[in-house]
Amino acid sequence: MTVLSAVNGVIVLEGACPSEDAEILLQHLTSTPSARVDISICESAHTAVIQVLLAFKPRLIGTPPGNSLWRWVHPAVQASVSI
Amino acid sequence: MNDFLRQFLIESRELVIEATEGLLLLEKSPRDPERLDTVFRAFHTLKGGAGIVEFPVMEQALHSVESLLTEARAGKRTLNPALVGECLTSLDQVSQWLDILEHTGELPVSLNGPANAGLVSPDVAAASHDTSAAPAAHAAQDWAAQLLGRNPSATGAVTTAFRFTPDHDCFYQGEDPIALTTSLPQLLALEIQPESPWPAADKFNPYVCNIILTGLAGISAGEVSAHLRSLTGECEVRAVGTAEAPAAISMPEIVRKVLQEQLRVLQVKEAPGAAARIASAGRTAANAMRFCGMDAHAESLERAVQQSSAQLQEAIAQLLGMPSVALARAATPRKETSVRTLRINAEQIDALVRLTGELTIAKNAVGHTAKLAQANSDSTAGLLKDQHSVLNRLVAQLQNTVIGMRVLPLRSVFQRFPRVLREMSANLGKPIELKVEGEDTEADKTIVEMLFEPLLHIVRNAIDHGVEDADQRRARGKPAVASILLRATRDGDQVLIEVTDDGAGIDVQRVRQVALDRGMASAEDLDAMADSDVIDLVFAPGFSTAAHVTEISGRGVGLDAVRAAVERVGGRVSIASRSGAGTTVSFSLPFSVMMTQVMTVEAGGQVFGIPLDAVVETVSVTKEAFSSVGEARVIVHRNRTIPIVELEGVLNASAEKSRRAETDATVILASIAGELVGLQVDHPGERMEIILKPLDGLLSGTPGIAGTTVLGDGRVLLVLDIIGMLQ
Repeated sequence: MTVLSAVNGVIVLEGACPSEDAEILLQHLTSTPSARVDISICESAHTAVIQVLLAFKPRLIGTPPGNSLWRWVHPAVQASVSI
Repeated sequence: MNDFLRQFLIESRELVIEATEGLLLLEKSPRDPERLDTVFRAFHTLKGGAGIVEFPVMEQALHSVESLLTEARAGKRTLNPALVGECLTSLDQVSQWLDILEHTGELPVSLNGPANAGLVSPDVAAASHDTSAAPAAHAAQDWAAQLLGRNPSATGAVTTAFRFTPDHDCFYQGEDPIALTTSLPQLLALEIQPESPWPAADKFNPYVCNIILTGLAGISAGEVSAHLRSLTGECEVRAVGTAEAPAAISMPEIVRKVLQEQLRVLQVKEAPGAAARIASAGRTAANAMRFCGMDAHAESLERAVQQSSAQLQEAIAQLLGMPSVALARAATPRKETSVRTLRINAEQIDALVRLTGELTIAKNAVGHTAKLAQANSDSTAGLLKDQHSVLNRLVAQLQNTVIGMRVLPLRSVFQRFPRVLREMSANLGKPIELKVEGEDTEADKTIVEMLFEPLLHIVRNAIDHGVEDADQRRARGKPAVASILLRATRDGDQVLIEVTDDGAGIDVQRVRQVALDRGMASAEDLDAMADSDVIDLVFAPGFSTAAHVTEISGRGVGLDAVRAAVERVGGRVSIASRSGAGTTVSFSLPFSVMMTQVMTVEAGGQVFGIPLDAVVETVSVTKEAFSSVGEARVIVHRNRTIPIVELEGVLNASAEKSRRAETDATVILASIAGELVGLQVDHPGERMEIILKPLDGLLSGTPGIAGTTVLGDGRVLLVLDIIGMLQ
């Protein structure tokens, strides 16, 4: 289980999130639209998971790990927040 | 005309002005993205309006300009003067259509001239290809150009731009496009965007891939392709020139032209026969290269044809030495200033003005009643006086507001000049720069609207007769580009407008000579006249110094027409000139034509009003001061001999005439076409501010009467038009 449920309105992505996590993340975000997503301990995420983030534009919290994935994805999701 | 068309007419007129203004500015700075956007928006909205009212010809005409501007916005075209001229012509055509609509109330049915008037001619469009504008980009490269524009820091190291659209069902193939893409070596930029807008939450399927990945990398196109090979989807990989354009290959000019032409042919989008066109363009380009012995390049072109139109365009652009991707300029955010306004019919405002006038008269009547009550020691006199002062204050406020509603900024006149100047400058081959100052200065609508013709006349004169041609200017040590300054300032209740040129100035000796030739004054008089008075003679009727009648000015209408037009609204014109340094023509106009300052005078037992702006001074003259010159009577005042006219005699107000000469009298000195004339009256009266009502019906056009107003006691005051009366 790499998507931890929305406690205090925060969804935590942990470790490497496979494509199956997209469905779980989608459910969390649908039931709690204002939820924030903590990505500080998420090493990688499948495109399907990132796609959910891009579509629902949750506020991302936590410093993303310095790997190449989040370097590009983080600004993309955050940019979509402001749009 | 229905409301729909009326609205269309009003808005289109505004948009035409906006577009014209923008185009003229673009001519000076063709790369200004903000200005380009404004002009584009204006054209786009105009076209949209034409579509709504179902006016296909206008829509079509504007469409071609719009596409041209779209290309300019994408950096594929530079708006050179010829192109701006074409855009302006299309606006002229639109204005003509709008005129017809305004006139007939219907959209023009039979159109004069070619149906595609306003369409940008292909010659000009072709000529507008400016190699300095880095226009090698084509539609397919837009994304790459934009990406580079958004990532300026990456520009130096970029060698490849890619755009990858994964298949919708790629997740079921076990693919992870983002992970693979982000692992690209030397990835310099990556943007992740939805391919189509994200669906609503309840319809969202996380396992349908709906993204487009665009990025820049510092590795070769081949390496990028190899890296992404395992993914299914549509992938475009493009080699991107670095900031410096690739060196152009030297080739004969004719070959270069042929290649440029092929590039243009290839840029035509989605027309039938595209495949044949690409093949033919590729063949022609390859043959051109063979012609100048560059077989290797010819072969590479032939290879490119096999791939795609985009590849071929890229290859040709490289041969021509154009940077392969145009860099999009970062647009600065546009500051919008919105003003809350309401469109009101001018007639309604005029009705309000009339009503305010009536109210002023009623107020004056109350004042009169208060005076009467006071004279009769009525107990209500004090109360009446208080009420009058309240009314006085309120009416004054109302007047100011109403005057304010009729006020327009002079911009609405000034903004027509850049266009006029552009044409005159081109026709006469004299480069001219127009400077405008104080265009926010306001004046009454009537003044602003009448101002264009006189100003145009002055500006034409300045360009035609005042400004020297470039060679002469250089010889005289002046900048080759002449300057014309239009300046407006507010001075109390007057608006001052100056037209200044830095041309040759007025040749005073020549004016003297012409005045003599035309018999306007004797040689002695002319010699005795000060230079400034001589220069003023150019405003005299029948004076024209132009040796040649030209297109621009000198068509028989002299500057006297200007002076007459300005004086008609109560203004004055003067001229100052320094030989070799230029000429300034100054207009002094009343801020409002609604309120007129008059002084009342009594003549033959009747009261008349004289507009104060015509009055120079009022003098008391003893009977001894009058003398006779022939049949005329004159006085000498400040060493000037001034002819005297009896107001009573001119108006036939009384039968007894000659008696007046034997008594002391009051003389009102008025300036008429630069000459002082004395108007003898019985008594001067008071000074007042009135709303002048022009005569209407049978009496309209009565010479010598400017209008009427009603005095507090109910009498009608005739306000005299002294200039009209004495001329």
